[in-house]
This record gives sequence, C-alpha cells and structure tokens, in this order.
Amino acid sequence: MKKTFIFSLMLFVIFLVLPVVINHPYYRHVLIMMMIWATLGVAWNILGGFTGQVSFGHAAFFGVGAYTAGLGNVHLGLSPWWGMLFGPIFAALIALPIGALTFRLRGPYFALGTLALGEIFYIVFSNWKSFTKGAQGILIMPQFTDKLPYYYLALGMLITAIVISFLTVHSKAGYYMVAIREDQDSAEALGISTARYKMLALLLSAFITGMAGAFYMNYVNFIDPAIVFSLSDVSVMIILVVMMGGVATIFGPVVGAAVYIGLNELLRAQLGSANALVFGILVVFIILFMPNGLVGEILMRFRKNVQGKKRGEVSGTFGS
Amino acid sequence: MLEFLQALIWGILLGGMYALIAIGMTLIMGVMKIINLAHGALVMVGMYITYVLNIRFGLDPYIGLFIAMFALFLLGAFIQLLLINRLIDVDAILPENQVLLTVGIMVVLTETMRLLFHSDYRSVQTSYASWNIRIGDISLSVPMTIGFFVALIFVVLLHLFLKHTHFGRMIRATAEDRVAAQYMGIPPKIVTVVTFGLGSALAAAGGALLLPIFYLWPDIGHLFTAKAFIITILGGLGSIVGAFFGGLLIGVFESLGATYVSMGYKDIFGLIVFLLVLLFLPGGLKSLRIPVLRRER
Amino acid sequence: MLSRKIRGGKTLLLLSLALALMLGGCSGGSNNAATTTETNQSNAKESIKIGIILPLTGSEAMFGEMEKNAMLLAYEELEQAGKTSINGKKIELLFEDDQSKQDSAKAAAEKLINQDQVSMLSGGYASSNTNVIASTAQSMKVPFLIVTGSADDITRQGWNYVFRGTAAPASKYTGAMWNFMDSVVQPKTAAVIYENTDFGTSSAKGFREAAASRGIEIVYDQSYEKGALDFKPILSNMKKKNPDIVFAVSYVMDAALIVKQMKDVDFNPKLFIGGAAGYTMPEFKENAGAASEYIASTTLWVPNVAWEGAKAFYDHYKEKYGKEADYHGAQAYASMYIIADALSRASSSERDAIQKALKETKIDTIMGPIAFEDWDGYTNQNKPTTYVVQWQEGKLEVIWPEDAASKPYVYPVPAWKDR
Repeated sequence: MKKTFIFSLMLFVIFLVLPVVINHPYYRHVLIMMMIWATLGVAWNILGGFTGQVSFGHAAFFGVGAYTAGLGNVHLGLSPWWGMLFGPIFAALIALPIGALTFRLRGPYFALGTLALGEIFYIVFSNWKSFTKGAQGILIMPQFTDKLPYYYLALGMLITAIVISFLTVHSKAGYYMVAIREDQDSAEALGISTARYKMLALLLSAFITGMAGAFYMNYVNFIDPAIVFSLSDVSVMIILVVMMGGVATIFGPVVGAAVYIGLNELLRAQLGSANALVFGILVVFIILFMPNGLVGEILMRFRKNVQGKKRGEVSGTFGS
Repeated sequence: MLEFLQALIWGILLGGMYALIAIGMTLIMGVMKIINLAHGALVMVGMYITYVLNIRFGLDPYIGLFIAMFALFLLGAFIQLLLINRLIDVDAILPENQVLLTVGIMVVLTETMRLLFHSDYRSVQTSYASWNIRIGDISLSVPMTIGFFVALIFVVLLHLFLKHTHFGRMIRATAEDRVAAQYMGIPPKIVTVVTFGLGSALAAAGGALLLPIFYLWPDIGHLFTAKAFIITILGGLGSIVGAFFGGLLIGVFESLGATYVSMGYKDIFGLIVFLLVLLFLPGGLKSLRIPVLRRER
Repeated sequence: MLSRKIRGGKTLLLLSLALALMLGGCSGGSNNAATTTETNQSNAKESIKIGIILPLTGSEAMFGEMEKNAMLLAYEELEQAGKTSINGKKIELLFEDDQSKQDSAKAAAEKLINQDQVSMLSGGYASSNTNVIASTAQSMKVPFLIVTGSADDITRQGWNYVFRGTAAPASKYTGAMWNFMDSVVQPKTAAVIYENTDFGTSSAKGFREAAASRGIEIVYDQSYEKGALDFKPILSNMKKKNPDIVFAVSYVMDAALIVKQMKDVDFNPKLFIGGAAGYTMPEFKENAGAASEYIASTTLWVPNVAWEGAKAFYDHYKEKYGKEADYHGAQAYASMYIIADALSRASSSERDAIQKALKETKIDTIMGPIAFEDWDGYTNQNKPTTYVVQWQEGKLEVIWPEDAASKPYVYPVPAWKDR
C-alpha cells in the first residue's frame, strides 16, 4: 500500500505541475479531455469493474449532469458552474429508479436494460423541446479564456473520482462489491445485501459521471442530446476506455483515457479519412491480445510469480 | 378503422423484415451468448455487396441477395474463427470483452466501407420499388410484401434446419448447454463458426430485402443493431419463431405508435416494450409457449 | 496454446506502441501532411494561414468533401488571378477534420488557433459543430467565417468575431417563399413536418411564427427522427387533415422517401414545399425519381441563379470533380472569395485587422451581394437572398421571385392520379 501511495503522490505532483511545463493551449485541451474521460472511466469502473455490473447506459448520467448545468443557465439564469454541484445530485437521483429497474437483471440482460434506458433518455431529451431545447442544444459563453482554470478543475474532479474509487474499493463495501462481481448468488447466500451494495456502487458511479457531464457543459460550451446521450460516442466509449486501460484497477481507466484521447487526436490530425479505421483495428488488437487492459497486463507481468492469479484477476490499485 | 388496418399491415410487413435481421442475431446470441454489436454492420456490408452487384452487374437485389448471403456467411465465419473464438477461452474479469471486440469489429467494418464508398447515400433504383397492390382501400407496397414473404420463407427454412438436421441439432445443443454438448462430442468451435456465418448470412438477407425500399450509407448499421436487440430479447434468446413474431410485434408497435401518438417518440415504444420484457418476461415470447405443445423435452 | 505466446511478445510491443502514440497525441499537431493544399509549406512569416474546419470523415463527410473541393476550386481561380498573395504573403489553407463530431471540432479549433496560429477560421458545416467552433473562436478573439452552419442562435449572441455570410439563419430561408405564399398561394391551412435537428426545429419555428402572423391555421405539426424507414403514418395523418400546403424540412434521403411514400398514400396537397436542405439536392431527384416532380423548396442558391459566375462555378466544379455542386458547394466557394477579399483589404494579417476588414465587407459573389450587418437581433449576419425553386421535368427551376424565375411556377400541383 505504501508503494502505491508514494507512486500516486508522485503522479499527482507531476500532473499538478504539468500545465506549467506544457503551456500550449492545444495540448492543455487534449489533457483536459483526457481527464474528463478518465473521470468517466473511473466512475464507470466502480459499478462495472469492481461490482461486475456492465452498464451500457452511462450516457444517461453524463447527459443529465451536462443538462443540469445547461438548463440551470437557460431556465433559471444560474451560472452553469452550479451544475457541478447539482449535476451529480440529479444524476444520482435518476440512478435510483434506473437501478431499481435494472438490478434484477443479470449479465448481458443488465447491459441491454441499461442500454435501453440510456436510449430512452436520449429520445425524451430530444423530443421534450420546451424543456430541453431539443436538438437546438444549449450554447453558453465560455467562462475563462485561459485553459489553466479548466485544467485544475478537471484535475480536481479526476482526483476526487480516484479518491472515491480508492476508498470504496478498500472499504468493506468494496469487498462486498467484488464478491458480488465474482458470484452474486454466493454473496447473497453469505448474507451480503447485494441489492444495497449494487445500488451504492451505482449511486457513486452516477454521481461522478454526472459531475463530469456538468464539467463538460462548462468546458465545451455546447451540448445537445445527440452528443451527451450518445450510445456509441459516450456509453460504449466509456466501456472501451476502461477495458483498454484495465478493468477493476484504479488507474486503468486513466491510462485507457489517455490512450483513447491521445490516439484519437493523433490519428485525426495525421491520417485523414483512415483515422477511424486505424482506431478500430487497434481496439480489436488490444482486446484480443490484452484482454485485461494495458494496466491489467502490466500488473500481470509483475505478478507472474504470485499464486492464485491464474484467472488473470487484478483488483485494487496496483494489484494490492 | 381503415387507417388502423393500414397501419397494422404496414407494421407487419416492415416487422417481417426487421425480424429477418433479428433472427441472425438471436441465433448468434442463443448459441454463443455474446452480445454482437457488430450485427448491424454485417447487415450493412451485405447491403453494399447487393448494391455493387446491382450497379456493376445489373443484378436485381432479390438475386444479389443470395450472393450477398454467401459472402457474409464466409465473412461471419472468418470473424468468428479468427477473432471471437480466441476470446472464448480467455478468462478475463468481465466476459464483456467479447462485446467490446464486436464494437471494434463494427468500427472496422463501418470505416472500411466508408473508405471504399464514402459517406454518400446510395440506393438502387428498381422498377418495382414504387409499385403498390391495392386490396380494397388498403395499399401494400410491393417490395415490402415480397420482403415479408421471403423473410417468412427463410424463417421456416431455418426452423426446419434447426429441428430436423443433424447440424441443426448440434447448434441447438450447444445453445442449450455448451459444456454438456462438448462432452457429447460436439465440437464447439465448429458450431460457433458455422452459427456466426449463418447469422451473418441472414443479416445480409434482411439487408438486401430492405435495399429497394430504403437507402444505404456506412452508418446504417446502428439502426439495425438496436432493433435487432429489442426483437431478440422480445422473442427470447435463441428462438427463431420468437424473433419472427417479436419482429412483427415491434413493427406493429412502431407503426401504430407513429400513427396514433407521435412520430418523434416512435422508437420509445419499442424500447419500453423491450424493458418490460426484460423485466417481466425474461424468457421472451418463446417462454409463453404452452408446455403441452413443446415436443423437445 | 498459441495465444499465450502471442500475448507475451505482443503485449510489450503494443504497450510501447500505445505509450508512444499517447505521447504522440500530445505532439500530433506538428505536421500537417495530409491537410495543406498544393502550395509549399512556407514558414509562418511568409504566409497567412486560414484554418478551415469541415467534416472530412464521419457521417457528414460528403458535404465536407464538397465544401473542401469548392474552396480549393475557388483558391485555384484566385491564384490564377493573382489574388492569393497579399503584400508578399501567400494565403495558406489548413483543412482540419472535425469527424462530424463536436469534440473533434473543438480540438480542431484549438489546434488551428493555438498551434498553427491561424489568422482566421472558416468552415463549419453542422450546426452543433459550428456552435462549438464559434464559441471557441469568439473567446479567443479569432475571426470565424461560417460557411454552412445555420442554427439561428449562432449569430444572435452578439459575438463580433463570428461572421455568417453565405449561410442564412434557419428561420430566414423562407423570405422568397412567404412572398410567393402571399402573392400566389394564399393558403388557409398548412402542415409542418420537420426532422428533429437544430436546422429542422429552427426552420419549423420560423414557419409557425410567420404562418400565425398571417392567420394560417397549422393543422398538423410533427417532428421526426432522421433516418426513419416509414413515413406513411405521418403522411396518412396529414392526408386526413387535408392541408392546403405542406412545409417539410428534411435531410435528403428522408425527403426522397417522404415524397415516394406520399405517392403510395395518394396524398395530394396543393403544394409541397421543402425548407431547402434535402429537397434541393441532386440526390433527391435521383432517389425520388418521378415522385420529385413539382416538389417546391426554398433555397439559397441554384446553378442557374442570376448572379455572375454561378453557372461557371457549377460547370467548372462538374468538370473537375465529376459531381454536381449544390448550394453547399456554392457557399464554400463564395466564402473563399470573401476571405480573399477581406484579407486584401485588411491593414495587416493580425486577427483584429482581419475582423475589421470582414466587418466592412461589401462584395458580390456567386450567391449574391454579401455584407455583414446587424439586424433583427443578429450580429454580422448577411441578409440572405432566397428563392423558391421547383422540380420540373427533372430539373430544379427557379420559380420565384418572378424576375429571377427560369420557368413559370406550377400551382396548384396536379394530383398523383392525374400525372
């Protein structure tokens, strides 16, 4: 644990100082996007990687967070920054019925159920024009011209997410969650209230995702339902980010986000029309040859000699 | 009343074609238990093949359909053999790796087609595309009607194949209990490869039938994947007949929903039905069959 | 098993690859191999860089391609006329792909503004992407000339660095149409159907307001999701209500399906008028076939419009690229001319100087006269010239205003049975 802590501290300091070194707004933009996606990945992982409930509908929470920030501005004249507080709250609120509905489903059925719910949110927000402005979207003026404040806010958000994730995983609740992931029925038989812990994981996950959504509204300044409630661009990509980085590791999603955003930007700028294809091929490769994600595979290398790891399990921060 | 009948019939015709696409997916999901998010992309590839055959060689889509089916069978088998089969034996923490792999495959297929054909909308112009048969006051679109009956024929053929051929029984056995089937000497790898090929071929057929009525562009796959899921779950995993009726049901719901409620919200009906089925009837329509009529057990 | 062996070596390889690429992502902007024009890579001092953000990949790539081609065509012509060198500096076009996605649009804008240090931005096809680019440009005080994005709100923010010349706000496409309505059609009832996008929603809103002020009753008002297969439910509902006219805003493929299915349903409004976009494109006629006959639409431009150079552009484009250009191409082409003109008048290649020069623009283009004015709540918005066109015998003819008409209008439109 100590090694973990020192390592994390080192990383934190590096990231803290990074924008001073990298003062090009474009690079800072890339870093900020990486941090948004890392936050999303870490949030999803609490429910998906640690508790084993693979949600294909996380865009719902992202969108609700973003729209809370935006609509607060449109209808109530509030600064969209209030969304950073209310977005997560509303996202967690909608997580309650979503969880209640879907948690009775298992495995792929749960995934499909969340997918359907995510899509329902998209359709409702698209059509309820009087409330959400529909496809017109919400456009706001950026608060800061300089990227620096956004960078630190994003960093703060990511760190909050990581801390929440870490604390959860290393708490009793966290162990219950992993137990649920491994074998829900046995866990229930042992007296663990699976419903309660799944809901807890979902609430935390939704809360952080909503926060990322609110930040997104404040940073990118324009949202519409097709962007923030998107199944293929948000929900699926979050899962991709986590899988590429390493499911059930704390830093896996961070690495995954960095690779995803970095790769996407690099390919977009260099390759012209072939960029999406190359990205797809790389995804296929990574999943085929590194099924536990980049961080997961690294950890496996370092733990070749540890017993009982034949299932390729990696949990905790750095496999602790 | 007339309007209701008309909407109903349109829904049924359309649903039949949706069903064909879904049947491919239910087969794959039933046997391999993987969520195949690339299914829509396979439909799309089938449509492009049919399109090219029509534009380059003047083949009518209903003939090009068979060639597309064959090609997609090979493509699907290839994908399963080289890519997905690898993951089945890997024990990762979340089996959802397979799902993501299909996402990657979907992106590769979609983008490859985009590179070849650009994002332009393509369509085939057939002489019969606008023909209508009038029965009384109800009009039936000819291509949709043909599509419906072809879909029906395929459903029947598939059902017979699964019920009465040796290979069909192997597929069903693997779907029911993969491990037990293995113990019985059924090679899972071959079964999965053939099943994926078959499912892809059916997807291609569904797409080819829709080509005269609709149009084509690389992203069309997403539409079909979503519908196919809903229908698959509605009908019950692995049930061909269930998927067929599920397709009809969805087609009708959409048509009636669009006519009587609102076109903007039409997709929501399917989704709500989907959720209801997931929650309250997880076996899908297939589980509604009265036990007395079941002969397999 | 084979996979285990592969896993070992591949892991390290891919890991290093991934890390390299990740770092590469941060330095991704340094080369622009695929994105500059035929001009040489002159260093910063010698060229004036213009950043152009378009959907070159993704679902809207066909428009992005057309607009890029049109701009390159215009650039070539300007080059031959010696207009691409301003005070010894060459105009350099840097195209960036927004992948039809809004996040990429922002990344592209950031890169062009901060990395490539462009003097101004242009482009912007989809409204949502244009929104993002505009807010980024305004906050960094970089002039942005919108080519196509037509969301009403973009030029209603009072943003002085954002200019829209060749694109009209969605609700303003209908100037000529209402003139036609008032003089000729005088409908009592109307039906509105529109796609669930910004463009569709804004156009429908504009129509509703204008209809209300004229006492026209809207008997059917429905939005729909783009890419639907079956429009018969809406069409038969509309038929029941029997409106005099139908106003529809649709993407090209939906438009083709709608009119084809209109025939199936035997729905015969006195006039079916589209809100530009899908109803004016060559693909519409190709896909709708005979059903496209007599369909009218608003538009900002057609090849046989009276402005100088319009037909020449259309022919030249067809010759060079083998495809027909529509008003999107014209927008891009005219925008390039506007850019060259503004740059020639700007006191320097500094962004503020260009902004000032753009504001003072008064130029004739193939889309008509362009000037950036403030009116009706809009800032830096050109007052659009609009037309009503109608498909007649497979060709798109201008039918209104009468002095610009290429053929007389056909109204009321004959029923399907009588054709």
